[in-house]
Amino acid sequence: MPEPRDSARPGGIAGSELPGPFPVGAYAALLRDQLRRRARVQLFGEVWNLRPARTKVFFELRDGAGAVPCSMWRNEWEALDGTERLADGARAVVAGGPDYYPGSRTSSPSFSFLVRDLRAAGEGDLLAQLERLRRTLDEEGLFKPQKLLSRRLLPRSIGVVTGESGKARDDVLAGLRRRGWAGRLVWAFAPVQDRHAAPAISRALSDLAGWGQVDVIVVARGGGSLADLFAFCDESLCRTVALLAVPVIASVGHHTDRTLIDDVAAASCSTPTHAAETAVPLHCDQARTALLGTGRRLEVHGRRAVVERARALARLSRAPAEHVARQRRARHQQARELRAASRRRLAHERDLTAVHLRVLGRKAQVVALARERAGQRTALGARELDRASRAALALTRRDLERLSLALDAHDPDRTLARGYALVSDHAGELVTSADAARSAGRVGIRFADGQVPARVEDEGS
Amino acid sequence: MSDAPHTYESAAGRIEEIIRRLDSGEAGLRETLDLVREGRGLVDFCASELEAVGHDLEQLRLDELVARLEDGAGGGEAAGQ
Repeated sequence: MPEPRDSARPGGIAGSELPGPFPVGAYAALLRDQLRRRARVQLFGEVWNLRPARTKVFFELRDGAGAVPCSMWRNEWEALDGTERLADGARAVVAGGPDYYPGSRTSSPSFSFLVRDLRAAGEGDLLAQLERLRRTLDEEGLFKPQKLLSRRLLPRSIGVVTGESGKARDDVLAGLRRRGWAGRLVWAFAPVQDRHAAPAISRALSDLAGWGQVDVIVVARGGGSLADLFAFCDESLCRTVALLAVPVIASVGHHTDRTLIDDVAAASCSTPTHAAETAVPLHCDQARTALLGTGRRLEVHGRRAVVERARALARLSRAPAEHVARQRRARHQQARELRAASRRRLAHERDLTAVHLRVLGRKAQVVALARERAGQRTALGARELDRASRAALALTRRDLERLSLALDAHDPDRTLARGYALVSDHAGELVTSADAARSAGRVGIRFADGQVPARVEDEGS
Repeated sequence: MSDAPHTYESAAGRIEEIIRRLDSGEAGLRETLDLVREGRGLVDFCASELEAVGHDLEQLRLDELVARLEDGAGGGEAAGQ
């Protein structure tokens, strides 16, 4: 190492035979150079705690015997195929070498295996073990017993297993406050991340359940990588939870994490706050308000049951008089309606009669007019008849005169007057021939001035 | 009247039954008065349950409780001896 030239270099530790002291920056740079000179190799293991940052992607490569912190430049990471499938527990092969960031007065140093290439190599052993254990517990029916336990709507006492310094503790308190719950809370603090966590949590759970005073137990831990949460996949812990007589509500990690305790517990929640609310299903403030309302409703029912019946009795006692009054009012009403109906009927009839009168008047006028016209026609007819009769009379008279003249022309008396005579026999029958006159012997001769008998004598004889 | 309830939920359930029966209007006077009396008792029980978790949060530590119990047990054994 080059000799430091810093004039402010302090003296070394008295009695120490080691060289130096050297400036730490120079030592860090030397360390980085030495590490970078080491051979580049390939490693394989399981990827855990994957954390993409602005320029680099960080993760740890683990197996059962150890682990190495790794980093990879982000542009190289994104150029790889299949990295989107890499998650905690995935098996991978990496190529690269050790690197060291020496840090500065304002930034922390860090060691990492700088990965220059990577290949995903399937599911990791730890995840496979986890799935096998999950199937085993399920097949043994250990996922069910907790879910069959009845949980109280309003627990009086709640046990909480969590880390003493974690944020989960405050979240549980916040959840209980939101429920308006302020009963007895028993904290069972335990480590929640290392190899001591699972036995400690199991012991805390057993102690809480054995105490017999808690109605429900919340197991809470904040978020972290699946590796950090692995304590909650411990087989012994899960078997303990499954067989507890007190319901356990688990809230381990974030909602994307699923540990085995989530499967065996009575309920699994995404946050400690939610777990606390699940432990107290009843919203106490609302329940108090509702209870007041229920009390009032009961009072109303009790009072109404008596008061309504008293009112019914009073109504019954007044019923006869009210019935008579009601009937009287009904009859009065009917009488009023009757009178009103009569008035309406009379008015209607009056209106109808007026209409009839108007119609009759119009008809009388029509009849009078017709009669007048008929009289006029009759007078006209009479005059025409008179004229016709007079004309007919005159005509008849003329015919009569003509006939009379014609008759007179044929009247024998007129012939007699002109000097002719009529001969008739003794029976009065006209004798119109000489033979008839001879046969008759005696005849009568009628002249215009009278008749004289005569005797026919034949001059020949 | 049913037996005295042991839990808040059984009391709350019975209160709901009582209210439903009373709301139906089918209960006679005697039954109504009995139900109201029973309901009052249940409301008082629920109120006492809520009262028990309604004041100051009591926070205990399990390790202290265990230690106290162990001390008590040890003292008792010593007294027994």
